[in-house]
Amino acid sequence: MSIDRTQVAALAALARLRFDGEELERITQEMNRVLGHVEHLKGLEVEDVPHEDDPLEGEGDATRGSGAESPDALKLGLGAIAPESQEGFFVVPPLPGVHAEEGQ
Amino acid sequence: MSATDGLERARASIAAIRGREAGSEALNAFLSVADPDGLSIGNPQGVLAGVPLAVKDNLATLDLDTTCGSRVLEGYRSPFEATVITRARAAGAVVVGKTNMDEFAMGSSTENSAYGPTLNPHDRTRVPGGSSGGSAAAVAAGLVPMALGSDTGGSVRQPAALCGVVGIKPTYGRVSRYGLIAHGSSLDQIGPLAKDVEDVAILLTAIAGYDRRDSTSLNVPAPDYLAEMKRGDDLKGLKVGVPAEYFIEGLEAGVESTIRAAIGQLAGLGAEIVDISLPHTQYAIPVYYLISTAEASANLSRYDGVRYGLRRDGEDMWDTFRQTREAGFGPEVKRRIMLGTYALSAGYYDAYYLKAQQVRTLLRRDFEQVFEQVDVIVSPVSPTVAFEIGAKIDDPLQMYLMDVFTASLNLAGFCGISVPCGFSEGMPVGLQIIGPALGESAILRTAYRYEQATEWHQQKPAGL
Repeated sequence: MSIDRTQVAALAALARLRFDGEELERITQEMNRVLGHVEHLKGLEVEDVPHEDDPLEGEGDATRGSGAESPDALKLGLGAIAPESQEGFFVVPPLPGVHAEEGQ
Repeated sequence: MSATDGLERARASIAAIRGREAGSEALNAFLSVADPDGLSIGNPQGVLAGVPLAVKDNLATLDLDTTCGSRVLEGYRSPFEATVITRARAAGAVVVGKTNMDEFAMGSSTENSAYGPTLNPHDRTRVPGGSSGGSAAAVAAGLVPMALGSDTGGSVRQPAALCGVVGIKPTYGRVSRYGLIAHGSSLDQIGPLAKDVEDVAILLTAIAGYDRRDSTSLNVPAPDYLAEMKRGDDLKGLKVGVPAEYFIEGLEAGVESTIRAAIGQLAGLGAEIVDISLPHTQYAIPVYYLISTAEASANLSRYDGVRYGLRRDGEDMWDTFRQTREAGFGPEVKRRIMLGTYALSAGYYDAYYLKAQQVRTLLRRDFEQVFEQVDVIVSPVSPTVAFEIGAKIDDPLQMYLMDVFTASLNLAGFCGISVPCGFSEGMPVGLQIIGPALGESAILRTAYRYEQATEWHQQKPAGL
């Protein structure tokens, strides 16, 4: 299976990337080379094989921690990592295209 | 060791790093170095008291930037610390610097770092391997005795092999990944690198064990790997499997002869050598590059100019996302995001991603069946010795094939170690010893007995 420049450009939009001109041509060729290698999987029969996304799923039931928790409170206060604060609020950059007056 | 002595040792390491990296023999192994006046020892009585520790730059640290080798995280300071760092500090280790790496751990040569390639201390015209190339080079050059890396498809074992040091990928879930910047979440595992097996065992003991902050952490007590490693005097009774599929076309003749000699030495130490088969090995690279890129494309979606690091303002929100990612990511990261997006996209998901997960099951079953017959498996780590800088960077597929002997293990979740076993073309060769899930004691013991019988780990780069 191969992929063409139009499909690559569409994928790039999904991935929030953009490739133009020679760059688009190059990544199309590179992706096709890798996908050509991936084609080796096609001949392999896997109809009855379960898929797994956890490499130690069998181990997990008995041994994986059940008490997982959300991360602890940050070791640094938020104020220590915020770029700027004003009147008790954090100052964040304006959204592009949105004027400060509109955001108020 | 007193706290004062420990701090002096760490300061001497920092001075050595700065001296080396500023001189004509610079390696570019470090992306940041600690302030020698700001050091402290968490536990002066700990097993690692005063030991200088280098840390791969994808592990979150409070006192040093964490860039992941990427422009998109340039200057990023984490508000929390990785569990492995906290545990190493609690054992007395002193973090002296953050090491160079392939951007987001995507690469096998450290050439994909946004901050320039790391050079191999044995030959500065060659790569150190990757993606933990900075950590391996720092240990090989004697700048630090120990380092931490991460291994998604071989990124601890391969640079360890190419730089002539020891590196271990523990079982998936053996070491907490809390604070490790994600690449492939079902594959990533943190592992120690050191000049010998004993130091690897000590550092692994310090960082291993259950962590409630990591939902994939295995709730199994970690043993004292140093004590486990030293049990017995030889390898009598140990069954060592040699897989036919790991001695294939593309394996350099010098690497193969070195590995076969090492297998002969294991037999001389009393091990029983057993020919085995891992029949689905040929599918490991396609499966690995479908699953890892799919996971990476999802993990890296968070870098959009809003939540972390670099921001490039565009005409609207989507344009800001796009411009930030275009400016922040290097070519290899973009390539993998694209491949992963393709593998996960509608119409291709079943043909690629789902099938890869099914073949992953077959790869794991191969290992499970073999471990009913043998205790450990041995193989090459890398099909070649360290190659020239620039030799493969323009051919992504050739670079991906460098992981042919290491990626299966990440897909199966089992553990493996690389131990120096000789030289080819004047460059180090690593012997890979693979164990089953939670089989770290067996592979450390095998590696230790081999190391005790040989002197390869003492062969330092010229000039040291």
